[in-house]
Amino acid sequence: MSRLPHAGLPMPGGNPFVRGVRAISTVCGWVAASLTVIALFVTCHMIFVRYALGHSTIWQTEAVIYLMIGAACIGLPYVQTLRGHVNVDLVPMALPRRGRLVLAWVVQLATIAVIALIAWYSWEVWHQAWDRNWKSPSVWGPRLWIPYMVLPIGFGLFLLQLLADLVALAIGEDAPFGMKEG
Amino acid sequence: MDPLSLGLLVAVATVAILFSGVSVAVGLLIVSALFLLVFDGARSLEMMPEIFFADLNSFTILSIPMFIIMGAAVASTRAGADLFEALERWMTRVPGGLVVSNLGACALFSAMSGSSPATCAAIGKMGIPEMQKRGYPDTVAAGSIAAGGTLGILIPPSVTMIVYGIATETSIGRLFLAGIVPGVMLTLLFMAWAIFATWRSGNAMVLASRHYSIRERLEILPRVVPFLLVIVGVLYSMYGGIATTSETAAVGALLCLGMAIVIYRMWSPVAIWGVLRDSTKESVMILFIMAAAGVFAYMMSSLFITQSIAQWIAGLEVNRWVLMILINIFLLVAGFFLPPVAVILMTAPILMPILDAADFDPYWFAVILTINMEIGLITPPVGLNLFVINSIAPKIPLKTILWGSAPFVGCMFLAIFLLCLFPGLATWLPDVVMGPSL
Amino acid sequence: VELRLSHQFAPGDLRHKIAQMVADDVAAANVDLSIKIFPSGSLFKATEQYIPLSRGQLDMTVFPLSYAGGQHPEYNLTLMPGLVKNHDHAARLIASPFMAEIEKVLNDDDVMTLVHGYLAGGFASVDGCVRRPEDVKGKSVRAAGKGFEEMLQAAGASIASMPSSETYNAMQQHVLQALNTSSSSFVSFRLQELAKCYTPAGDIALWFMYQPMLINKTTFDRLTPEQQQALRDASAKAEAYYLAEASKEDATSVEVFRAAGVEIADLTQDDFDAWKALAETSSYKSFEGNGKKLLDMALSVE
Ligand code: NA
Ligand code: NA
Repeated sequence: MSRLPHAGLPMPGGNPFVRGVRAISTVCGWVAASLTVIALFVTCHMIFVRYALGHSTIWQTEAVIYLMIGAACIGLPYVQTLRGHVNVDLVPMALPRRGRLVLAWVVQLATIAVIALIAWYSWEVWHQAWDRNWKSPSVWGPRLWIPYMVLPIGFGLFLLQLLADLVALAIGEDAPFGMKEG
Repeated sequence: MDPLSLGLLVAVATVAILFSGVSVAVGLLIVSALFLLVFDGARSLEMMPEIFFADLNSFTILSIPMFIIMGAAVASTRAGADLFEALERWMTRVPGGLVVSNLGACALFSAMSGSSPATCAAIGKMGIPEMQKRGYPDTVAAGSIAAGGTLGILIPPSVTMIVYGIATETSIGRLFLAGIVPGVMLTLLFMAWAIFATWRSGNAMVLASRHYSIRERLEILPRVVPFLLVIVGVLYSMYGGIATTSETAAVGALLCLGMAIVIYRMWSPVAIWGVLRDSTKESVMILFIMAAAGVFAYMMSSLFITQSIAQWIAGLEVNRWVLMILINIFLLVAGFFLPPVAVILMTAPILMPILDAADFDPYWFAVILTINMEIGLITPPVGLNLFVINSIAPKIPLKTILWGSAPFVGCMFLAIFLLCLFPGLATWLPDVVMGPSL
Repeated sequence: VELRLSHQFAPGDLRHKIAQMVADDVAAANVDLSIKIFPSGSLFKATEQYIPLSRGQLDMTVFPLSYAGGQHPEYNLTLMPGLVKNHDHAARLIASPFMAEIEKVLNDDDVMTLVHGYLAGGFASVDGCVRRPEDVKGKSVRAAGKGFEEMLQAAGASIASMPSSETYNAMQQHVLQALNTSSSSFVSFRLQELAKCYTPAGDIALWFMYQPMLINKTTFDRLTPEQQQALRDASAKAEAYYLAEASKEDATSVEVFRAAGVEIADLTQDDFDAWKALAETSSYKSFEGNGKKLLDMALSVE
């Protein structure tokens, strides 16, 4: 955290897998930002319709919630490319080069394991909602597989980005914890 | 394994894993998965995505990304710089005038937002760079915003108070009123410390030597009008019966984006994307931590750790003030690890009867509890506001943020102490407005 | 054996007391069975109890069944405007073939009912009383239940969907002009502090919500016969208490609101019929297939 703003970002190296995955994650960033902006407009629309026109607001609250969950999940891989998921890096910073590399591998593998676990169970949650045709209990009653879909997509692509980061670490395109030697 | 040792084991594991350098949200998920697997069986793991989803499945979280957009839009235009220029020209006589006005801005934003990270992100985005630019020490710049942001859950409206009100069947209106005087008092304590710290750092001399003429002071005013109009618009929409607290955040975001685009001519798509990219990065980071903290809280609740410790305290036969000290220590430690809402849900039902028996006022206690939760927001290992500051001001090391926040924790302890000495600080205003509580 | 029971209600609420009664009686029966209660949504959030229950990740809950109406539309029938007339009628409905059909749907999800029970409710508003459909026209109302939302929408109200945690604030700021929920919740949320008029569930009431205590069926089947019997005995006792207290909750809420100086508006038979007629053309229409069959079964209960 004492590093310069963008010093932690891996250089755009030559590895096509790493580059390709980063491109996908960047698209995720666009999607997440768009979902947030749509949520903004839907909320304002709801206030206007209810206050100025006195009409019913049936779907807006729920739609906004799903849009924000979508933004939070789909944004995960993008924020990973920006190294935006904050960490407490006091220990890695204090370690010597070799120790830091070992720790980086351990941390990255543990991260991949837990995100893979969640991605897998997310898929099951989604599949159940799809299979049983669950709907939300509201008047609007959207099919739940649609909002649930962002879980497997978000965590799946997050997993992919983490794997690309592991490759970047292995081939030396990325320094452990993004810390340059020196 | 008894709950106390299990709790200790969770605490040690959480600290160890979070200090390994893993990202905070993932670290919380790892701890939760490990403990659920070992103590609750593999079937519990299946629940993780649904708990994660359920924690985000709430309209109130909308205010976080919206307030972040608000802050990012203002910070990316001259609006933010103009505002701080105006504050500087008008407050040069006050040592640490800018940090005082930042804390004031935090208190004002707290009256619009029910959440602390939202307040922190909105003000910090503009305030921290401006304070750094004007020579304030990093500790003061980061610490004041981290601490000032915590006022979001004390000054009404407050998500924490609403949850407390529902869990304990106390009046939400009365809880909101109870938070006002302590909120103002805490703001003043924060300001007092910030002035002292700035004065001690020696920079106050430099700042105070600048002098602005009346003309210079007046000519800046028209430039802050747009931003003031936004603030008025947001407060009007909320207190004028147009929108609820969470909805208001979207009004604020729309007004700030509109102001940036129309008045400050932020027409280029690249600049707009810049605002959206920065705010997406921060809100995704915060929401991920909040949802992961929700999974962590589920693990703690499922293993009955927090509840058992609360029950153990409830069973002790001690003097009522010793009891209050124990409860405070317990809330403090719980706040180190858990988000405020989770602490309230798990402990309020257990603590309420003992507080009743010991004849403590539930509204007064709500304020004490909220200040404890505020402390948790700026203490490791899980301190949401620290991470927000870390994200919006990446150049300031975490160590400096921690170091800068520590004295503000001291202010909060002082506030708790004052509230214990003078419970009227919390109970006077609701009694005046709503009549004595039953 | 320890069973885990999770619900969304505060410890002072009747629905928590029901859970606590069963837990206490089962413990007293000395059959090596205990129930650990997680109140106030401290384990699973309010509406999220049903899925873990049906998967056996949660053992027991006290749950407004219509919350799971998105999974089984039949559950929406347990919260329909005018379907239940009063608490005695509710008791007859519980004993009817309609409820047996609902039980079958529950059983298919590996869930079974231990304690049946309906709670009644009404309206609180911050300007003007809600007696007839005309009274909500143009007002912003938050309703509990899909059937009520459809009916109120048909009455020309603006349905504001917002979480229950925001309602107090919204009523205080007049973003919301009327609220529809159970008598117990009105008192829990202390809406008497804000309301100008309260339409309680009296001799004639519109709003009845089925809120049973449920258990995972596989979990129940795995218990020893003694444990099952202890649970059944405790549940039977709790059910009688639930029925007796449910109408007292209505009376208590009226006292609380009256003491706070809130105007009390009682429904007449004519008001009730106006609402019922509106419901028949709005919320009742959305049922088809098995749902329609069950609706007719419920309507046939005298
Ligand atoms: Na606030
Ligand atoms: Na903390």
